[in-house]
Amino acid sequence: VLDFWLFLRVLVFPGFTFILFLTLFCDWVERKIEARMQSRVGPAVAGPAGILQPLADFIKLLTKEEIIPRDAKKNVFRIAPLIAFSVMVFAICFLPIDGSSAISSGGFVGDLIFVMALVTVANFLLFMSGWASANPYGDIGAARVLTQFLGYDIPLFLLALAPAFLAGSLTISIIAANQYLPFFVLAPWGFVLFIVALQAELEKDPFDIPHADSEVVGGLETEYCGGKLAFLHLTRDVQIVLGAALVVELFLGGPYGPVFFGLPAFWYSLWFVLKLLVVVMITEYVTCLFARMRIDQVLTANWRVLLPLSVLSLALTITMATYVYPMVM
Amino acid sequence: MNKKEIDMLSVLQSKFEGTSVQVQPEQLGRVAVIADASTHRDVLKAMLEADEKTAVIAITGIDLGATIGVFYHIRTSETGIITIKVEVPKEEPQIKTITDLMPGATFDEMEVNDLVGVVFQGHPSPGRLVLPDNWPDGVYPLRKDAKLDNLQLKPTPPTEPAVNENIVKVIVGPQHPALLEPEKFVLKVEGEIVKDVEPRIGYVHRGIEKAAESRTYLQDVYLVERICGICNACHACCFVESVEKILKTEVPARAKYIRTILLELNRLHSHLLTLGHAGLEIGFETLFQYFWRDREPIMDITELISGNRVISSGMTVGGVRRDINEADIPKIKGMLTDLRKRLPFYKNVYEDEPSIKMRMKNVGTLKREDALKLCIVGPTARGSGVDIDVRKDEPYEAYGEIPFKLITYNEGDTWARMNVRMDEVEESINIIEYALDNLPAGPFRVRVPRVVIAGEAVNRVEAPRGELFYYLKSNGTAYPDRVKVRTPTFANIPAFLATAIGSSIADVPPNFVSLDPCFSCTDR
Repeated sequence: VLDFWLFLRVLVFPGFTFILFLTLFCDWVERKIEARMQSRVGPAVAGPAGILQPLADFIKLLTKEEIIPRDAKKNVFRIAPLIAFSVMVFAICFLPIDGSSAISSGGFVGDLIFVMALVTVANFLLFMSGWASANPYGDIGAARVLTQFLGYDIPLFLLALAPAFLAGSLTISIIAANQYLPFFVLAPWGFVLFIVALQAELEKDPFDIPHADSEVVGGLETEYCGGKLAFLHLTRDVQIVLGAALVVELFLGGPYGPVFFGLPAFWYSLWFVLKLLVVVMITEYVTCLFARMRIDQVLTANWRVLLPLSVLSLALTITMATYVYPMVM
Repeated sequence: MNKKEIDMLSVLQSKFEGTSVQVQPEQLGRVAVIADASTHRDVLKAMLEADEKTAVIAITGIDLGATIGVFYHIRTSETGIITIKVEVPKEEPQIKTITDLMPGATFDEMEVNDLVGVVFQGHPSPGRLVLPDNWPDGVYPLRKDAKLDNLQLKPTPPTEPAVNENIVKVIVGPQHPALLEPEKFVLKVEGEIVKDVEPRIGYVHRGIEKAAESRTYLQDVYLVERICGICNACHACCFVESVEKILKTEVPARAKYIRTILLELNRLHSHLLTLGHAGLEIGFETLFQYFWRDREPIMDITELISGNRVISSGMTVGGVRRDINEADIPKIKGMLTDLRKRLPFYKNVYEDEPSIKMRMKNVGTLKREDALKLCIVGPTARGSGVDIDVRKDEPYEAYGEIPFKLITYNEGDTWARMNVRMDEVEESINIIEYALDNLPAGPFRVRVPRVVIAGEAVNRVEAPRGELFYYLKSNGTAYPDRVKVRTPTFANIPAFLATAIGSSIADVPPNFVSLDPCFSCTDR
């Protein structure tokens, strides 16, 4: 027997449909912020203030001809972008958005680790899509995705453990619910480093090596066109939403906030989206401020700076959580 | 005549007194040395010994009827072009290479080989440079008797397979996001390190030098203007100056000032474009958008003065085509003042922004000796501490009367080259403002005859990218006999080749864009 409400939650709200439109909306916000930062107008034609532009771009790509290179590994080439997209959306379904997540109300023990693992899988699928396209630029772009991801996954994970220690749980919904004081106040060092690692994980400036078009043309997207390219773009946008949502859940108190009247679920979703937009703004701001680093500089920055700092940050958080905060609070 | 030039003249005269080499002080409006295929190297050696700044500007191959002329145009110290004239027989045009004395002449020799068919004995990399691979052998487009109808193209030779397994060929171009114009560079890469670069230019070769021979001088002004979109006024100016030198026309003072303004607007346009484009190459999109926003007023000013936003078509033989409207001067100055207010911010970004320093400091470092040896020109040379600038060395138009600074940096890396341009933007604004304040009254053009008396002229102007050189030969008709153009990018490509080898592949785009390459100039 199918549970009708579960069906609705997974497919409509706060599941697939909501995530899809939130992604397109975030894409629009990003483009607008970037345009304003660069003294441009940004999307302005489709819909009020161009809000429908990401949707229009997506639909346009879906209508384009699909070309598969002769030497490509065809099955992998076809399905890798789709699976990568699905895995990203699946991961978001475990994050509490309107007070509980789309799939289960309270999550399960260790779902933080599960979500982080899903991100890894999705990135590996992105690598596969570039590698399958039998193009030197695709190969280099894919290799760079993997190199960069391997480097930044470890600090990101270490930094995600800090809120878990503060909340005393590895369950995302408990971490989010336990933030009477948001953790970015209790562990600001962890918050800042997490944003930096996230910037690298999301392949945004100054770490957008895999997209360096003057070096690797289109990177892993070089051979893609039509619907598959649409899904690659969407995967990237969903990844940004997922990254921002993780920051919200781990450091900004999740969806929880004051409920003024009516349904708490409505207010929680509203707070969640607003907090998400704040994180998107921060990452976009950083993107606009820097030039792209070289791949060796990125890797040096990772292994020599970010990794030791994240270990220190974790140690500092544990010390504070064990000895300092119990005395103060 | 400048003092240094007399020095070089006396050096040559005393050294080659009583030999077959003739030194003629008053040809071409400059010094010419008549040598032959056995002595031209000795002349060059003597000049190199006398002056470290001696460099080959260009080599003109010219069909003289019975013989083929090979003219080496040599830049000496701070002033003056000395031309070494050599003639070789048409049946077997052979001459010894000078690339061992002057590595910067490599490309010039290849081009002469392609277009006129002179074989340079001992050239390190003989082969096609500007002509396509399938061009038939033995057809030399710039010879007067070349038959270019019904060309039988030969099949394109297959590419050679790689010899070494560890070397990967990364092909940049002809279509590539890092290049705005079609040109091909094959980077041989081992890991992330570039081991060798094979350039292949000529993808946008339009045969303008040949086309110029079948058009009148007035038509040619508009033709050469279209060699390059950005430095169009420089090309037109250099051409009309050459014609005026043959005609011995004195241009009115007002025209000189208006020309100077147009030339400096070209420089502003070009420098702002490159400074922004460099941002794009290192993934700094915000910088790119900012610079291109501030480039707009420059194009508006060009429109106010000439009626066109890009190709100004302002130059004509004997002056300029349009006068500056007095009512527009305050508007122009207002726009320049707005731009000047933004400059300290940009200067700060280019000098101190950490991610720019990470990508540009110590990238593509070109030492001063190498810059001299490779005959590098323009901001690229000035970034390596070579103080050459035609505006100072051999003032043309109104530059002799306008005070401005010569910018040099000693680092020689990408960062230095971009900062040279950054400082020159401010100097250009100063020059334009000074010219507008001191605009002389009077006519803005004089009438000149359409038929140009027989003669020769060499001329150079400082284009935004460096020294632009024209050699013009007239034969007493309304059509020029030979127009030779040497563009600054053509001279600067060896700098990229020298600095790219051994660097990381990620350093190639910023290094390359710091030369401000213009391929439609290079190919002509």
